[in-house]
Amino acid sequence: MPATTVAATATEPIRSPFLVILLAWLIPGAGHFLLGKRGRALLIFACVLLSFLFGVLMRGPLFQPSGGADVLSKLIQYGGFLGDLAAGIPYLLVSFFGYAPPDSASHVSDYGSKLIVAAGLLNILAMVDAYEITTRQKE
Amino acid sequence: MTLNLDHFETSLLFAVFSSVVLGIVTKRTTDERVKYGLYCFACFLAALFGIGWFMRILHG
Repeated sequence: MPATTVAATATEPIRSPFLVILLAWLIPGAGHFLLGKRGRALLIFACVLLSFLFGVLMRGPLFQPSGGADVLSKLIQYGGFLGDLAAGIPYLLVSFFGYAPPDSASHVSDYGSKLIVAAGLLNILAMVDAYEITTRQKE
Repeated sequence: MTLNLDHFETSLLFAVFSSVVLGIVTKRTTDERVKYGLYCFACFLAALFGIGWFMRILHG
């Protein structure tokens, strides 16, 4: 095999990065699973899902893309919404089924909302990792 | 079904989940991943207890 062909093969993505990112977002760990990293996929799936589930069981409210007049409230609401959304299907499912915890100022629900956002943020880390594996930046 | 976890329990959960994912995404070999995950977990615990005691001293 000519050297140029070998070099080209070594830099080609293993799979479509778009497909991997999309799957990794929708189902936490699915990007790694698609790339044959099943152990890592299972751990990511468990961590993201459990974090999200604990948040929901603690009746943590979901952030909405809205906010008060001041910039800080908007930043918190939009940032939290993006964090929630990054969890993928778990977020879409609870939104679809009308998950709406009581609007109370409980510290437990406050912790719950942070666990839900944390689930999304951990999934973003996993998506970036899956992208780097796809583009052969790491194994 | 609802859970009523306190701040310490919630922080521990967060530390476990974050340490596992950080170990997976930052290191290359299984051995390095396990070590880094444990290191992260220890750092989370140190921060949890450190900040906890700091706030206790601050509030009196």
